[in-house]
Amino acid sequence: MQKIMVALKRVLDYNVRVRIKSDGTGVTTDGAKMSINPFDEIALEEALRIKEREKGVEVLVISIGDLVCQQQLRTGLAMGADRAVLVQTDQILEPLTVAKVLKVLVDQESPELVMLGKQAIDGDNNQTGQMLAALWGRPQATFASELLIKGEQALVTREVDAGLETIEVDLPAVVTTDLRLNEPRYVRLPEIMKAKKKPLDIISLDELGVEAISQFQVVLTESPPERQKGVIVKDIGELLGLLRKKGLV
Amino acid sequence: MNRETLNFCDQLNINVVEVAHGIAQDASKYLEYAIDSVVARVAPDGFINSQLLETNQHAVHSLAWIATYVEVLLRTSDWADCLDRENRLGDLDQSMLVVIFGEYLQQLKNGIPMNQVETARPVDLGLESRVAECLSSNDIAQLENISANPDFRLAAVQQLSEREFESPIMGDETLDLVREQFRRFADEKITPHAQTWHDKNDLVPLDLIQELGEMGVFGLTLPEEWGGSSLGKLTMCVVSEELSRGYIGVGSLGTRSEIAGELIASSGTHDQKNQFLPGIASGEILPTVAFTEPDFGSDLAHLKTRAELVTRSSGDSVWRIFGAKTWITHAVRADLMTLLVRTEPEERGYKGLSILLAEKLRGNEKHLFPSEGMSGSEIEVLGYRGMREYEIGFNGFEVPAGNLLGDAPGQGFKQMAQAMESGRIQTAARSVGVARNALELGLRYAIDRRQFGKSILNFPRVYGKLLLMAAETIAAREVTYFSAREKDSGRRCDLEAGMAKLLAARVAWSNADAAMQIHGGNGFALEYSISRVLCDARVLSIFEGASEIQATVIARNLVNSRL
Repeated sequence: MQKIMVALKRVLDYNVRVRIKSDGTGVTTDGAKMSINPFDEIALEEALRIKEREKGVEVLVISIGDLVCQQQLRTGLAMGADRAVLVQTDQILEPLTVAKVLKVLVDQESPELVMLGKQAIDGDNNQTGQMLAALWGRPQATFASELLIKGEQALVTREVDAGLETIEVDLPAVVTTDLRLNEPRYVRLPEIMKAKKKPLDIISLDELGVEAISQFQVVLTESPPERQKGVIVKDIGELLGLLRKKGLV
Repeated sequence: MNRETLNFCDQLNINVVEVAHGIAQDASKYLEYAIDSVVARVAPDGFINSQLLETNQHAVHSLAWIATYVEVLLRTSDWADCLDRENRLGDLDQSMLVVIFGEYLQQLKNGIPMNQVETARPVDLGLESRVAECLSSNDIAQLENISANPDFRLAAVQQLSEREFESPIMGDETLDLVREQFRRFADEKITPHAQTWHDKNDLVPLDLIQELGEMGVFGLTLPEEWGGSSLGKLTMCVVSEELSRGYIGVGSLGTRSEIAGELIASSGTHDQKNQFLPGIASGEILPTVAFTEPDFGSDLAHLKTRAELVTRSSGDSVWRIFGAKTWITHAVRADLMTLLVRTEPEERGYKGLSILLAEKLRGNEKHLFPSEGMSGSEIEVLGYRGMREYEIGFNGFEVPAGNLLGDAPGQGFKQMAQAMESGRIQTAARSVGVARNALELGLRYAIDRRQFGKSILNFPRVYGKLLLMAAETIAAREVTYFSAREKDSGRRCDLEAGMAKLLAARVAWSNADAAMQIHGGNGFALEYSISRVLCDARVLSIFEGASEIQATVIARNLVNSRL
């Protein structure tokens, strides 16, 4: 293992109470706290743990978006990544375009492992990892809750509906990460200082030769309906009565 | 911007940020008159007359508070201006600016509560006519009216409760990253245990201290060549604030390293730096500050603990210490004391004082102070636990002759002054953290607690408290950050640091007190965190320069600037 590539998406911090734009075109991010997508952060943490176990592994972090995404890349560098690349674009990209961008970078960088979150907490698309594996023609192991590198193979435990499934994939491969894989580290102050000196390259989407395609359109974004007031029942009998009246049992 | 707030500012057609900026300038003029008034009272002959300074103490301290309030107006208008320029000024930020200006201008005109029982009024300085001249513009009346409007206040508190759990964003990549890490650390590793540590009077666990050391907390501002991170005082403020928001006992661990580190880094010899700084930075050496004596607290010039240089039979020279020190925080666990002693017995006052870097053995529950010539006992305290407080007696305790700080006898007081400036900034930041903790506890409780069929947040006397608590937390924070920025730019900032500490300590206490009031009877129960936060908040206006001492330092500084 020589190189791991990790994709980091900049998203609204999970603690921020999301507010919908008044015209329904999306959510407001103005002045709100932004963070690395938590699943991507878990992917980076796992990559760093592999790097710490197996000497000589380079960890490369990638983000796609406008210049402010450098902030998340610097965080990744402060966590321990060696190098960062920002693919600069003002457009909001769909998963297929993101996968194509990553594919171009994979061709340039030849990593043995590409890691990313199973989904981002903003769009919840859950597509990019799978699409990248298809474009690349390499194996994919999604929803990883455990990862073990054994020479040319990776043993990946996946969280599936029936329980846990362990599969073996040949490297190079794409692994997408689930919540229980690890708990990301705290960034140490000396590492923050070191991260300022690590390389962060910026290339534009055009330079990479990837065209942003748009296949779907957001029609409306709205808040979930407000929770209705409940009633307090005396006993099971009354509860069943009410449920029957509503035709629920 | 929220629709309700828009109504107020737009209907009146005022740009709050611009208006605030102008008002702060007018208030600065008022401050100049206040300084004139005090100069006339205490320095009629062109120098400060100590007797007059004391006789006019209430007026002198009133000046310190007026200056602090004007500083708040300047710093918060700068803060809003900066957010505005970066397109980050939110609806809540604007509301907070209105609340702080509305309230602080009223207080400047009608009386500033220095605490619950003493008020600084214009009449104390003979400034009644200046109020009319500087503090009665239409702009001021407008902001005061908006701030007092019940509909505005309701809208503002809605914004406040929506944004409840967000940290301030400073727009600086490094600072925001540091804050995020330490906030998470506090949420996960400190807050869940703080109540237990306080209740049981437990020391902060050593493995937590080790982890903080690994994260770089203790070497934060030390140069990289000595194992530090070469970060500035502003970063130190952010870290101290976030840790203290979790628990003051953890946020205060760094104070001792900060003071000892700064003393040694700025005044120590090369060998002393080499010997102590890397260990302080990593957290392996836990330092403590030993200045205060049983009979001399703020009056350090008279302290009596003495050090005698003697040559032992083996040929090496040592200082032998005789005397007593008190309020020594974390003393049992500490490995190193920065010990202020009288080395020149014939010199009186400050001149005979020196600082010794006194190494000691760590004690345990059974043997508190195993080092030879040293004994002591715990002082049980109301709050600010986690490190514990001790009184120590020295009877021939020995310190190698080479451990005289900077190898410079009689320089102790001078060496101390600069480090205390940093300590004061750090204490202001700790206070801001405690103030935030109290605010968050009060707000959370007000949202959750239902009485008379609704959340108590909806009652004006409840949200009125919370609005000012939130606004004053921002005020204290901005004055604190400003003093740190000044220090980082290499300027002396004892004036600003003093104001930051003075205000932040009062705000922490009033926030804790008001948050407890919101809790009602539950807040008085030991199981609720606010009962601890109240105890912890009380120490902030006492230690690291009591508020009354702080006010004297600030006022002296202002008067001296005229002489």
